[in-house]
Amino acid sequence: MATLVVLPRRKPLPLAAAAIGTVAAVLIGADPASALSLNPDAISPGIAKGNTLHTIMFVVIVLGILVVNLAIFRAVRPRHRFVEAQEVETPSRSGRVGILLSLVAVAIFVVATIYTSASRDIPESRASVEGTLEDGSLRITATGQQWLWRFSYPNGAFGYHRLVVPKGVTISLELTSSDVVHGWNVPSLTGKAQAVPGQTHRISFRADEEGTFRGWASVLSGQGYADMESVVEVVSPDEYLTYIRRLKKEIQGAQDIVEGQVEAQARRAMNQ
Amino acid sequence: MEGQEEEAASTPEDAPEGEAAGTTEGEGPAETTSESSAESPPESAAEEVTVVESEEGVATVVESEDATDPSPDVGLFPETEPIPRPEVSVEGEPGPRQRWIELATSADHKDIGRILIGTAVGSLFLAAVLLVLLRLQLAVPENGFLEPVTFDRLLSLYGATAIFFFVLPLFFGLFYYLIPLMIGSRGTALPRLGQVGMWLILLGGVLLYSTILYTPPEAGINPLPPLSELAFTSNNGVDAWIAGVGLATLGYILITVDLLVTIRHLRAPGMAWRRTPVLVWTAAVVSWLFAVIGPIFLAAATMLMIDRRLGGGFFTGGAGGAPLLWQHLSYIFFAGVYALTAISALGVATEVIQTFTGRRSPDRRVIFGSMVAIAVMGTLAWGQNMYTAPIPIGTKYFAMFMAIGLIVPFGLIYNSLIRAVSKADFHMRAPLRYAMGALSFGSIGLLVELSQSTIAVGTQLQQTYDAWAATHFAMIGFGLFGGLAAISYWYPKMTGRMLNEDRARKSFWLVVAGTVIAVVPLFGAGVEGQVTDAFRFAEGEGVSAYNLIATLGTLLLFLGIVLTIGNLIRSRVEEPLAPPDPWLGETLEWLALSPPPPHNFDELPDVRSEVPLTDIREVLTQMDRDRDHEARETEPVA
Repeated sequence: MATLVVLPRRKPLPLAAAAIGTVAAVLIGADPASALSLNPDAISPGIAKGNTLHTIMFVVIVLGILVVNLAIFRAVRPRHRFVEAQEVETPSRSGRVGILLSLVAVAIFVVATIYTSASRDIPESRASVEGTLEDGSLRITATGQQWLWRFSYPNGAFGYHRLVVPKGVTISLELTSSDVVHGWNVPSLTGKAQAVPGQTHRISFRADEEGTFRGWASVLSGQGYADMESVVEVVSPDEYLTYIRRLKKEIQGAQDIVEGQVEAQARRAMNQ
Repeated sequence: MEGQEEEAASTPEDAPEGEAAGTTEGEGPAETTSESSAESPPESAAEEVTVVESEEGVATVVESEDATDPSPDVGLFPETEPIPRPEVSVEGEPGPRQRWIELATSADHKDIGRILIGTAVGSLFLAAVLLVLLRLQLAVPENGFLEPVTFDRLLSLYGATAIFFFVLPLFFGLFYYLIPLMIGSRGTALPRLGQVGMWLILLGGVLLYSTILYTPPEAGINPLPPLSELAFTSNNGVDAWIAGVGLATLGYILITVDLLVTIRHLRAPGMAWRRTPVLVWTAAVVSWLFAVIGPIFLAAATMLMIDRRLGGGFFTGGAGGAPLLWQHLSYIFFAGVYALTAISALGVATEVIQTFTGRRSPDRRVIFGSMVAIAVMGTLAWGQNMYTAPIPIGTKYFAMFMAIGLIVPFGLIYNSLIRAVSKADFHMRAPLRYAMGALSFGSIGLLVELSQSTIAVGTQLQQTYDAWAATHFAMIGFGLFGGLAAISYWYPKMTGRMLNEDRARKSFWLVVAGTVIAVVPLFGAGVEGQVTDAFRFAEGEGVSAYNLIATLGTLLLFLGIVLTIGNLIRSRVEEPLAPPDPWLGETLEWLALSPPPPHNFDELPDVRSEVPLTDIREVLTQMDRDRDHEARETEPVA
């Protein structure tokens, strides 16, 4: 079928496409390792499973993008093809393509399910420390508030800003919030989890290496959001015990001082 | 009513004849009509002056004609010429109304559609400006260009503008303009409903942007309670957000109802469901989808307003409400809008590809079925935005199943469209280029989204710039390119002029380059862990280079968008007049004049197949042949 309008000559489309593709490749290729692996320094078994899935999906989607876009570029490339006016309509191949796509979808769903459920397995404790529950895990509560985290340890001690956990012990972290929704986020250790007021969100993880791990809060929570950090410090079980005992003592000391002041005030009031 | 409309119709047709005759050859009715409406842009303030000027011209010409004689030689359409009849009036003869009053009070689907498309183009510019400001703040680490609260406000405005005042009015405006023409109707079934809808949308937009004068909303693109509750954002920015997008949503629901009734009842004789054009089917699917998701969002917005101003407890813990409820309701809506954009763009691409390859798709039924599947599954996959929320794992698996299942309908449509192009000969023009751009960018966005829809990966990548980049690829692909494919394809129909091909090509490649440079680095930043919505990022996290490149790319993207909009505006004045059917289309809207008169068609055709215009062309060719034959038989051989 002809068109009415006289057309300008087309520029070679693939050339421009190749140029853009190169730019894109250079940009992605700036750090190929990080593109392939989500968290190269993951030290928690669940996160490591998520990384494997990400690598698989990365390959799948890059292949998918290449296949689809090469097909598009091939379809629109400049060419002079004589098309028979009476050419019969090409038969639909949708049936076969549909079956193929369904198989791909099922395959991706199965793989994703396997890795997802593996990444959600509650890891077993490799070490034990005072204060663990019957299943060997250590329950710590993290309460988000604008714009910091408050951590309550099993012995009643609490601290702000950084969570100190023993290495090798399964931590059952209970996230909640005292004001707005906050996003707990330590990529290489726990991943993301929302702390919603009025609800308890329990995530389990086990840190296999000592060190300090950080992440930025991931749900917009107001003006101080950009500075809200989630910090986890992994130490040996002994150091952990020392830390929470010192914390407890400090809190006790502070409470004693406050109580003493209150008592003194009360006594003064009585004396007057 | 009929008589009034006809008079209104004849005035702009007749009036510019005197002006037009001097400059153009004035050979057909198409040119005269196009001249008159090309001079009357609905929205741009810059051109309001010309409107007024031409308005005066119209007024004088009409008066003089009325004063002297009814001028019998004006009749380009002898049958539609108003019949002179006596009028009784106490206050003298009512003069012709000003053009903007005409446009504002018109219930004509073409006027409403044009205003909506104009709103979308204006919002595109605003969204581009806001995006540039946001990216400038994020150009370098620890930047102090914007205050945190200013950043949050621009972010909130950007999200509302892009979703509620760009993507939605663009496609609903296009559908509202085109569907009556494509089904061979003289208008919509419930025009006043559509008119009210359009004004509600405009009112919502004005309400949202008037907050710039006091306090814009600052609770983010999706204002999650309790942050959006009165206790944490006490100024009325969030109230304005709720009212603005709520009114707009109500407007789209009304337009949706009108579209559904129109498609159901006003199809031309013989246009069975199986003969409706692909875009009509698309509009039906999209309208049903919005009729489902729109009220859900409206309910959620109302509940949030009740929470804020009437002491309700829908989204606060402790009072029987739950903060997570808002996430469910709003993400149903946003997932639905995502599917809506994709379906609309694929419908437009199908129409464009069918016309430019000159062949109907053999897979029409497959495409229809896939669109329904995308609408249902895409909306049901809302839970994939909530992988990090404390919801049962079953909900997450359900969302993942739906999201991964989307491979099948999307893949089927892509397969059939790409095959249609690769098997045919065609000329690469702006509509086809935009359509292929939509397919390409949309595929990138969808595939990255696929990776994030697996729970283990999504839990990591959500709320990072990886998710932001995937959404932007899909929305620039389906929303911007899909919309531009439609605008450039039906540009001759709407304005009576051709779109400038050269400028369209250049601005297209500028937008492509800008998007690639602006968005691809953000995939890297997201994988490195940079979170969205933060007004600044720290140094030494390996994302500084990505952000700088992205900001430079955004400037290029902005330039491309400005040039694209400039082309849309300039071509209305400068380009040659368009014939009624420049692309040899196969659907009924190409039977109408360019631009169509208020009553669309002088005579409604009988539809005998999926390709009514091809049938009409065949009949005309046959009539020509018969006439030649007759002439040869009757004329004596010399």
